[in-house]
Amino acid sequence: MASAVLPQSNSLTSAKCSLVSPSRNSNLNKVGVEASGEFLRLQSSKNGVNQSLHFGLVLRVGQEDGRGCRKPRKTTAMLKKGGRKTPDKEYPWPQKMKPEDLMGSPLRFLSRFKPLPQKPKPVHLPFELPLVDIQKKIQEVRELANSTGMDFSIQLNELQEKYDEVRRDLYSQLSPVQRLSVARHPNRPTCLDHVLNITDKWLELHGDRAGYDDPAIITGIGQIEGMSFMFIGHQKGRNTKENIYRNFAMPTPNGYRKALRMMQHAAHHGFPILTFVDTPGAYAGIQAEERGQGEAIARNLREMFGLRVPIITTVIGEGGSGGALAIGCCDKMLMLENSVYYVASPEACAAILWKTAAAAPQATEALKITAHELVKLDVVDEIIPEPLGGAHSDPLTTSMNMKTVIMKHMRELLKMEPDPLLAQRVAKFRKIGSYQEGVKVDPRFKRNMKPRDAPMEMGEPKLLPSHVHQNLELSLKTASTAATTSE
Amino acid sequence: MVMSVINWFEDRQKFGGLIGAFLEEATRSSMTNERDRRISVNANKGLWARCDNCGNMLYVKFLKQNRSVCEECGYHLSMSSMERIELLIDPNTWIPLDEDMSARDILSFSDEDSYETRILLSQEKTGLTDAVQTGIGYLNGTLIALGVMDFHFMGGSMGSVVGEKITRLIEYATQRLLPLVLICASGGARMQEGTLSLMQMAKISSVLQLYQVQNKLLYISVLTYPTTGGVTASFGMLGDIIIAEPKAYIAFAGKRVIEQTLRQKIPDGFQAAESLFDNGLLDLIVPRNLLKGVLSEISGLYLSVPYNKN
Repeated sequence: MASAVLPQSNSLTSAKCSLVSPSRNSNLNKVGVEASGEFLRLQSSKNGVNQSLHFGLVLRVGQEDGRGCRKPRKTTAMLKKGGRKTPDKEYPWPQKMKPEDLMGSPLRFLSRFKPLPQKPKPVHLPFELPLVDIQKKIQEVRELANSTGMDFSIQLNELQEKYDEVRRDLYSQLSPVQRLSVARHPNRPTCLDHVLNITDKWLELHGDRAGYDDPAIITGIGQIEGMSFMFIGHQKGRNTKENIYRNFAMPTPNGYRKALRMMQHAAHHGFPILTFVDTPGAYAGIQAEERGQGEAIARNLREMFGLRVPIITTVIGEGGSGGALAIGCCDKMLMLENSVYYVASPEACAAILWKTAAAAPQATEALKITAHELVKLDVVDEIIPEPLGGAHSDPLTTSMNMKTVIMKHMRELLKMEPDPLLAQRVAKFRKIGSYQEGVKVDPRFKRNMKPRDAPMEMGEPKLLPSHVHQNLELSLKTASTAATTSE
Repeated sequence: MVMSVINWFEDRQKFGGLIGAFLEEATRSSMTNERDRRISVNANKGLWARCDNCGNMLYVKFLKQNRSVCEECGYHLSMSSMERIELLIDPNTWIPLDEDMSARDILSFSDEDSYETRILLSQEKTGLTDAVQTGIGYLNGTLIALGVMDFHFMGGSMGSVVGEKITRLIEYATQRLLPLVLICASGGARMQEGTLSLMQMAKISSVLQLYQVQNKLLYISVLTYPTTGGVTASFGMLGDIIIAEPKAYIAFAGKRVIEQTLRQKIPDGFQAAESLFDNGLLDLIVPRNLLKGVLSEISGLYLSVPYNKN
């Protein structure tokens, strides 16, 4: 161990040592110095930890422990060598796999979405209070029966019947405000819950290949009835911890770009696309704005009308405005019975139009956001019924209902050629909107609109009957004649 | 001339209201153009406007001549849609489309006032049937399809009428192979029409798919103060070339929404055009007096492509 005074070492190291402050120099003399090539290694006599001296800068300054020796702070290098091991990133496959595990499909080991260890606590919505009361009474009577041993079965049956009747009454006539609270229920099944229920095989794919894998959007390939589909959806969390990880299903621009990449990939290979909408809206944050949240949504909207595969969108929870529409431009729009689709959340709408957030119930009624109202407005094609009590009371039945309706529409769409399919998609959205024209307008109402000042030679601009509809009719005609001739 | 009018204005304070009234009458009769009078009366109920940026007092007549740009600091004040059409379209070449289309209260929406009442009041107050004017005209000799949104009508909100008029304009441009210029100014989607307004975003994007991607025609979007919400998230950001006016406020989520989500103050100039330009979201920032020339030069560049074999 050379206890050399540093300035005496060779020119290379001395040049670097001169950068060290004089106050530390005195301390450095007390520790061993081992010059090795490019940089010096200071070895403390105590416990063999290296403190490398890169170009004269001491990287770690330890505290003096009284004897003049510097005590190094614990570095991660040290942890890895001796003591406590840093935990490895948790993988979804078991650490030790038994040979039986490898027999079935290996895909199930790749999914990080495992069933929750504990069943979620039941949450009762405000309008379900009568049910809670009856449930409590049933519980009391049962306890009484157990403790006294007397037979209370008649009362129990009566109470149970009453419970079922009240439940049926409540859930068959839900108001829009009540449906909104069911759509936002914390235990409502999420996108992945439904996907794992309806698919036989599931492979989740990740990343936008441009910097981030947004956990708020789920993409992957699944197989139903022997056919592979591309699944894309917003994923909410099942508890608070998951919700924070998933950002409450509010995607960033990276999420939309991931969805677009997957949709273009699906169109390239021929996977029909099934999307699931369940988001309060796109994430409103500083970085989201800087990375182009508006542009990401706009690009998705435009590109979805050019994808040459069938697209079916199902709204499974709340559909929040542009953030939902960015994966919702489809051939068929389906909604679960208790889901909602709005242009602005009722709270935001109330704050802007009624000037107070307390008017949210009135806004909910006025905006017409529930599934039944949207079917009347010709926005939604079909409603998927939910079991009594909402989707959260029986997720499996909800998923099976959804599967039936989706496959029914998919079978129809799979028969179509790409060009008529695209034309039909454009036509579906082309007819949405309500306006009036041909009614004479008071000239005062047009005084700030520039009237025509072009000469008559320029002609009258006549829009030829929308070529969209022309192409659609033409393609449908050719498709039907082709079908008849092939038979 | 300007100095003496300013002196008059100051003296008016000294002499009281009656002479002030006389002053307005005197200058009003000197204005020959019918339109000028209406606009000057509409603007701040007087002949003077204040620049939002430097606080300078600006004589409205000269302000209009200078295309609503403050002489002192160059700040672009808001401009009505009629003025924008006159800024861009060659005189005596404008043909409007769908002038008589107006909104319908499909949801029977009623907050403090019913939607129907609001429409009539806005139409009366602004002299516009809805928040957009569409039509075709010559721009420096090239026939273009032009749509101009107006922030004065219900905050430029996009409803079924805006969606339908712009869609028809794009369909017309697709059929006649015209370049398209859309000038955007909007506060977002029209909440009174609910989910129908949302679907207008998809509707316009679908015809843009046919126009831009399938027919490979040129679409230039010009973003002005302010462009927010549904318009930014649909056709505003889909231009082949995106131009913004200096210091325009361009956002997806409004400032207040972001502050509520993050619970922190937003830095100034966060959603200004210059900031978006630095983040790579815009192609150009063009001042108003150069806009017409720049648009015609761009369309000239795109028309003279030599390898049009695809």
